[in-house]
Amino acid sequence: MSFVGMSIVAEGSPAQERTAVNRWARLTRPALGLVLPLLLAAVWELTVRMGWASGRLAPPPSVIFASFVDLWRTGDLQRNTLVTLGRVAAGFGIGVSIATLLGAAAGYSPLVRRLLDPSLQALRAIPSIAWVPLFILWLGIFEASKITLIAIGVFFPVYLGLMGAIQSVDRKLVEVGRAFRLSDIEMVRRILLPAVLPAYVISLRSGLGLGWMFVVAAELMGASSGLGYLLIDGQELGKPAEIIAAIVAFAIVGKATDWLIALCAAPFLRWEDVVRQD
Amino acid sequence: MLVLERVGKTYPKGVHALGGVSLEVELGEIVAVIGGSGSGKSTLLRAIGGLDPPSEGAVLLDGERIRAPHEKIGIIFQEPRLLPWLKVADNVGFGLGGRPRRERAQRVATALRRVGLSDKAAVWPRELSGGQAQRVAIARALVPQPEVLLLDEPFSALDAFTRADLQDHLLDLWADLKPTLVLVTHDVDEAIVLADRVMVMGSRPGHIFDEIGVDLPRPRDRQSAAFDFVKRRVLAALDRSLQRAPAAAGDEPKATAGAALWW
Repeated sequence: MSFVGMSIVAEGSPAQERTAVNRWARLTRPALGLVLPLLLAAVWELTVRMGWASGRLAPPPSVIFASFVDLWRTGDLQRNTLVTLGRVAAGFGIGVSIATLLGAAAGYSPLVRRLLDPSLQALRAIPSIAWVPLFILWLGIFEASKITLIAIGVFFPVYLGLMGAIQSVDRKLVEVGRAFRLSDIEMVRRILLPAVLPAYVISLRSGLGLGWMFVVAAELMGASSGLGYLLIDGQELGKPAEIIAAIVAFAIVGKATDWLIALCAAPFLRWEDVVRQD
Repeated sequence: MLVLERVGKTYPKGVHALGGVSLEVELGEIVAVIGGSGSGKSTLLRAIGGLDPPSEGAVLLDGERIRAPHEKIGIIFQEPRLLPWLKVADNVGFGLGGRPRRERAQRVATALRRVGLSDKAAVWPRELSGGQAQRVAIARALVPQPEVLLLDEPFSALDAFTRADLQDHLLDLWADLKPTLVLVTHDVDEAIVLADRVMVMGSRPGHIFDEIGVDLPRPRDRQSAAFDFVKRRVLAALDRSLQRAPAAAGDEPKATAGAALWW
């Protein structure tokens, strides 16, 4: 929390030039990252077109694209994406709600932490997929077991992130709240909440990432719809292009939901970016 | 009037940080508290501010016993402690939570003008220099118009030039509003530039070792012979206070200082 070292903020033209350079770099740098995958795709496309490889098991980009468009046209892609999205949303909602409740309690109260945390840490040590057979026995093979698995995947990063964030709130700032005689509720709203938010958003994003991972696991283990079903379907019918199309759909939807969280949180976290400009 | 009656502090771990300090400070007076590390000067200030109530004795402000932070008492810490998620203006208005928006905006604007940072109202704290940030902290403490302002080594983290600048600035603000100032410092020059009285504290447990009046007209010339004379007296008293407690540089005072910061 040193404010002293940050005395020199953008002043005069060199800094302005620098931000202009930065903006240019921000556009070109991701583009640079695209060079390698595009090159590989082009090489593979060419290899198959020239007949040097059959491309039956590893279809070239054009075939994957055609398969993607095909799935789109029949509506299979949208329908299955929506099913998967619904599962992730339900699991994420449940997982985040419970994790937020327990994480806040464990972060705020040492008693709750001592009571709760050891058990949760022990549960965390179990690879979550290991629960699947038990969940299927308990909850059946339909939605409930899948959503539970996703919720568990989402739970741990959010719980740990929130608890840690609350514990590491700068006590000097809490003391400022005390000096201004904030009530407990005001202390939470005006000091703790904003102090915890950056770490909480990060934990939400990693929780969502795990949610997407676990939805694949859940759907691979038996589903009659969803993007994971498309993967299985593609495998059983020997259609690698369909598998890759489903993978691409996973990537797009996963990235989009992550971006959505970042977008929603951005207005509250603008103060965090200030230093980065420096 | 601020009255300390045999204020003592023993921490739960058994560290006896402060042993019965009595002191009376008139409204509008400036008192500097100076002493070696472990002399309990920060503990004393935190007791006055109600952040860390004394375990013995009492702090009275206008006859009212202080056991928790009080609206008539403002505190400025060693670090600015601005809330990084609030713009400067909102930081300054932090203590005006319950007031109507228009009044709040007016008082914030006034306070920012007083500390010369009107142009920084819409800036994030992280964009400020160390001196600017501490000025914002001063404005934040002044906005609720406290009767007593406590300062805990407020300028010790700043470079010498900024420090002198802020000392003069603090005096200007004091001349406008005339709050009582109690200032903890380990900078002898700072104590003499600002204070009407310098309390030299000794350690084990912390106590007032000597009191030196500073009867110089303001603004005070740091280079004048009279200033130097007072400085010699304060330094001599500090020297004697340390000799009386030869173990003062040991590890225990460090522990009390840490506890004072964190509890």
